[in-house]
Amino acid sequence: MRRITTIRIIGRFATALIAVVVMQGILSFKFKVFGYFDLPLICCVYYGFTLSNPIASIIIGSALGLMQDSLSGAVLGANGLSKTLIAFFAATAGGKFAVDQVVTRVFALFLFSLGDDLLVTILALMVGSGSGPTYSGAMSTWLLSATFNTLFGLVLFGYHDRWSNATT
Amino acid sequence: MSRIVVASKKPVWIALTVALVVHTGLISLQGRRRIDTSFIRVWIIDSLAPLEKIADRSFSRVRQSWDRYIALIGVHDENERLKRENDELRLQVVQQREAVLEAERIRVLVGFQHSGIENPILARVIARDPARSQTITIDKGTAHGLKTDTAVFTPSGIVGRVIHSSNYFSIVQLIIDSQSAVGVMLQSTRRQGIVKGNGGPDLDLDYIDDDSDLKEGDTFLTSGGDRIYPKGLPVGIITSVGPRRGLLKTIEVRPSADLGRLEEVLCITQQHENAEVPDPTEGQPVP
Repeated sequence: MRRITTIRIIGRFATALIAVVVMQGILSFKFKVFGYFDLPLICCVYYGFTLSNPIASIIIGSALGLMQDSLSGAVLGANGLSKTLIAFFAATAGGKFAVDQVVTRVFALFLFSLGDDLLVTILALMVGSGSGPTYSGAMSTWLLSATFNTLFGLVLFGYHDRWSNATT
Repeated sequence: MSRIVVASKKPVWIALTVALVVHTGLISLQGRRRIDTSFIRVWIIDSLAPLEKIADRSFSRVRQSWDRYIALIGVHDENERLKRENDELRLQVVQQREAVLEAERIRVLVGFQHSGIENPILARVIARDPARSQTITIDKGTAHGLKTDTAVFTPSGIVGRVIHSSNYFSIVQLIIDSQSAVGVMLQSTRRQGIVKGNGGPDLDLDYIDDDSDLKEGDTFLTSGGDRIYPKGLPVGIITSVGPRRGLLKTIEVRPSADLGRLEEVLCITQQHENAEVPDPTEGQPVP
């Protein structure tokens, strides 16, 4: 019985992660503005903060990053490495800081987003297949993306708070 | 107490180390190209791209229903027909203009064979990359004859090339990607050069023999020199000619194809090998 429950939980998580990556691809194709969002990144931070379980967060981050890399021209492992670290830091921060404060969430989401862009670009350039923006507007793209991710993350956390308040 | 905390933290560090080693290993393997890691990508594309296709179709159906039955009854169909007609006519105009110029140029040439495109495959764009690199996913793969470096275009202009292919899906690198380069020639003077993507919406002119006569509005066509894109397809139009930086002027080229609104694309799986153009002076009477 316990095993069935565990499998069910893992299944739900796997479905959610796949849905996030697929939605990112579809939405950024249909609506240009979604190109600035990084739903897998928001998902990593969200699970990191709410689960506060570093091992689960590391697995989630790795899986999301690897799927993201495979469905794009990015070097395989770049997003995987970056999302793994972000998920780990988010989970660690979730256990040490008051991540239910809006200021903490804004700060964390913005920094994680910038850090992710920077790390992926550096890794891609190191391998010599950098496909990220190298034009002069790269920094503004990163800042815009960080802002969008922060706003969307806050909405998501808002819903989480509401839902958890309603159930308790 | 402290021993318990230390013991419980151990698995976290082990998990983190394993994950980081796996990803670093993948990255370094690609960098050194010792082991082919493309099977991982192919496996994930084959698993996830069908879901993207289903999601795309569902989305398109909802949108189509709205467009056709609620928003604009009948107008949508007419618009689609006119768009198709317009695309066909534009392609014809470009081809005819090219044909006229070509005919004038090669009257004296002997043995010239025109490069042609055989049976282009129509593919549907089902997703854009989820990692903000400049790629798209199309619903055709190796089973349809696509392979790495297959050229992808629309009647308006070239789109990019296939960089990863699974059985039924392919990832296409757009020409605006920072790793993309296309061999081009100026439509008016036939001067050859190279344009490169920079990750932004425009292309940069990376090399040309002589940039003194370049001006805004000039059109670049594919030169066929890169052995990926056939000769004579529209690439882009010069939108700005800036001051000289190093050897070349800073020249921005806006892609002819609307890369932000791609829905269907054509893939060139077969093309005639370009015959070498003989020297124009050859065969002329010596004075």
